[in-house]
Amino acid sequence: MEEIRIGVYICWCGTNIAKMVDVETIAKEVETLPHVVIAKSYKYMCSDPGQDMIYQDIKENKLNRIVVAACSPRIHEPTFRKVCMKADINPYFFEMANIREHVSWVHDDPEAATLKAKTLVRSAIHRVAFHESLDKRTVAVEPSTLVVGGGISGMNAALEIADAGREIFLVEKTDRLGGIVSQLDLSYPFMTNVSGVMDPLLKRVRKHPHITVYLESEIKEITGYVGNFETIIYSKNHETKVKFGNVIVATGLKPFDPGNIKEYGYTKYPDVITSLEFERRMKQDGQITTAEGKEPKHVAIIHCVGSRNEKYHEYCSYTCCMTALKYANQIKSTLPDANVYEIYSDMRVFGKGCEELYAKSSRKNIKYFLYNQENGLPQIVNGSRYNGCDMLIELEEEMVGKKIGIPVDLVILMVAMEAHEDAKEIAHAAGISLCSNNFFIEKHPKLDPVSTTTDGVFIVGSCQGPKDIPESVSQARAAAARILANISLGYAEVETTTAVANELLCCGCQTCVKSCPYSAIKYDPDKKAAVVNEVLCKGCGTCGAACPTGAIKAKHFTDKQIMAQIKGLLFQG
Amino acid sequence: MNELIEPDLFKSMREFGADEWQECYHCGNCTAICPLTEKNILFPRKPIKYMQMGLRKELEACVEPWLCYYCGECTEKCPRNANPGELMMTLRRYLTTAYDWTGYARKIYTSEKWEFISIGILATFVLVLFLLFHGPMTTILTSEGGVQLNVFAPSGIVHIGDMLMAATVSFFLISNIFNMYWKIVGRNRDLRIPPGLYIKEFKSLIFNFASQWKFNKCDGKSYWFLHWFLMSGYVILFILIVGFLGWFQTDEIHPWWHPQRLIGYYATAALLIGVGYFFYGRIKKSRERLKHSHISDWTFLVMLFLTALTGILVHFFRIGGLPMLTYYMYVAHLMILFPMIMIEVPFSKWSHLAYRPAAIYFSNIKEAALKQKQNHK
Repeated sequence: MEEIRIGVYICWCGTNIAKMVDVETIAKEVETLPHVVIAKSYKYMCSDPGQDMIYQDIKENKLNRIVVAACSPRIHEPTFRKVCMKADINPYFFEMANIREHVSWVHDDPEAATLKAKTLVRSAIHRVAFHESLDKRTVAVEPSTLVVGGGISGMNAALEIADAGREIFLVEKTDRLGGIVSQLDLSYPFMTNVSGVMDPLLKRVRKHPHITVYLESEIKEITGYVGNFETIIYSKNHETKVKFGNVIVATGLKPFDPGNIKEYGYTKYPDVITSLEFERRMKQDGQITTAEGKEPKHVAIIHCVGSRNEKYHEYCSYTCCMTALKYANQIKSTLPDANVYEIYSDMRVFGKGCEELYAKSSRKNIKYFLYNQENGLPQIVNGSRYNGCDMLIELEEEMVGKKIGIPVDLVILMVAMEAHEDAKEIAHAAGISLCSNNFFIEKHPKLDPVSTTTDGVFIVGSCQGPKDIPESVSQARAAAARILANISLGYAEVETTTAVANELLCCGCQTCVKSCPYSAIKYDPDKKAAVVNEVLCKGCGTCGAACPTGAIKAKHFTDKQIMAQIKGLLFQG
Repeated sequence: MNELIEPDLFKSMREFGADEWQECYHCGNCTAICPLTEKNILFPRKPIKYMQMGLRKELEACVEPWLCYYCGECTEKCPRNANPGELMMTLRRYLTTAYDWTGYARKIYTSEKWEFISIGILATFVLVLFLLFHGPMTTILTSEGGVQLNVFAPSGIVHIGDMLMAATVSFFLISNIFNMYWKIVGRNRDLRIPPGLYIKEFKSLIFNFASQWKFNKCDGKSYWFLHWFLMSGYVILFILIVGFLGWFQTDEIHPWWHPQRLIGYYATAALLIGVGYFFYGRIKKSRERLKHSHISDWTFLVMLFLTALTGILVHFFRIGGLPMLTYYMYVAHLMILFPMIMIEVPFSKWSHLAYRPAAIYFSNIKEAALKQKQNHK
């Protein structure tokens, strides 16, 4: 057997790691460990010079194992595996120690952090010595795509792919396409008519020869892997089994129910309405009236209803400030004499044309009142007909530090945007992770915003977090581009870290068959042994742990490797 | 009870000058650049916010507009061209009407007709008095060759008129100041002012009235000096005609170095040069603070100038031995002076002579009371 020659590389990550971890000392100390030929630290390992350094070292020192201690392997494992491949060593002879997310970002004692980082590096060195050469597998890609959700994101993604001549199965839960955007009247910041954008889009989707639309339909589970997915589309009267190579999840979000917030008296006062209710009225006939049918003279728009509040949702719903300004302008142009009050807690008007709309609005005698959510929400009470108004909003105005009263006859609540109730089921069906707010998590927040950790599954639009129209559309098209690239390549690489059963050691107890969550193991009665279907296996390792005879081995997570890793963690030297 | 907003409050400000209330988005540049900003005095932004929100009581409790001398730096630095300096000026006009319990100030600030008719009525009143009660218009000159002005208008009688005028003006001005006190200090129930503070801070009132020292802090010494020079002129003249008319208005022609003549010349020069400077500046719009002129600004300058001019002409005609010209000019002088003082001092622009030092006095009292309250805690 060839001699094991390990190269260890400790990354500074600029100051991200180096400010908390003494990277140079670690490099010096681990150099003395068995099999370690070379150990270095460098400012940015992932940069081109960093990668070149590793490549040169492999060539010059005949290295055959590489350890990089840097960020999460989710981010740069593929980068360094590529370096290994370039230098003609198997990419699985690589191991990564996460000393950024797991050390420098979460600790504040440099000495202890350095010790922990060193331990993790040592553990990786121990492990990598037992790594085995594995081959990547490639599979053919089914050229059709499943799109879940028929809102503006899903439709745009579908059209982009279908226009390239590829089949689309578009599944929509409700009885019509268009999602929330089709309920909107105007779009900010240029106040353009939404139906002008939406109608041609709907028409094209409905008539497209490569798009099959399934309305009032759902999916429950997607099986398979990138290039070879399968699912059943459950429609009202029938079920359709479809095969596809990639999935786009575009399930969007839903408005928050303000009935939960007692201060606002939603449903108690007929003239307290939500933003979407106002939107529908504007779209219907453009008439702004109170419940009694009168023209309102004093209209309040309350921001952050359910957003940026620990009791409801901590996040910012992103689109409401601009939508509120849009309403204020709509009201001012319909009822020029009406007073419009924006009751806000920070005005967030970033992006093209938005600040300009804000500046323009403030010149139209739209009044701004700042409240601080920490000091309590504005409260809507009976107005005792002051100024002819039925309602009075009491609030502590933050800028002037005074309690004031605002008589109003119409209140619009800018409700938060939140994840669908069934987000969890969708996530489970497609193999996507959820954040604490039940939004889907992308593979990388900066560099890979539309992929997920499951290859071939993409997320676009507001199911990933509140978004406006242009962002949703760009995400949709980005995902479409990724999928078209994948289809035109014709094949996809799949993980090889699956389980394998050694027929000779297997006693046929079938414990693994029962324990496999993906139904990837079958019992072969002829051989009297378990057989793993590598296509279905996700390499979770449950079977390996359950097997009483040690017949099942999880590739890249062998007992030897794990034990070595633990030894590295526990024992000095 | 929460204070209810008055959404249309800012609309009622249009007649007082600037109308850019809605432009301000509270970046705070004006407050940062203002040389007078202190811990609890944050203008021009604070009153602008009150105005935008329509909180009239808060607005009327602001001393800030009176502490501002309008250097104009805020206006130059404002990113939204909201013209904060002129908004402060507009607020001073508004506050003048808010303090005036008679409602007359509001009438003349918002209607030129009211102002000019009032001036006309008061001028006519003076004219009628002279027509009915003037003394003989003798052309016989004194032994020194001067006009016998005191035969036409005996200083003793005119002095009584002056004192009555002063009493009337004082009555209105003082009651307005009390109203101002009520709005700024008295109405605030959370604030209890220990009586000793009123006496302790009184010296600042006198000091600021006489020196306008805070003004000096704002910008160029020359501007402060010219304003102070102008003020010294009318204060001297006011004291002379109300307190010592018998000494000031004589038929005897004193030598040129006599205090009566020197003081008179000084005051006239102060008025003419000062008014001329501001007049020229407002026409040329030479400084930020002189760029925007309300009708009340012009009226005040014109009347002050005419008063000084007619006054000095009376003097020269008298010592030059021109009896008829002296008499006519004397009547004209009083026809301008009387309406000017009656209208401008308690109800219009000139009231700032009282409101500015009073505002500093009240804000000092307020500050000191707050400090004492905090120390007790």
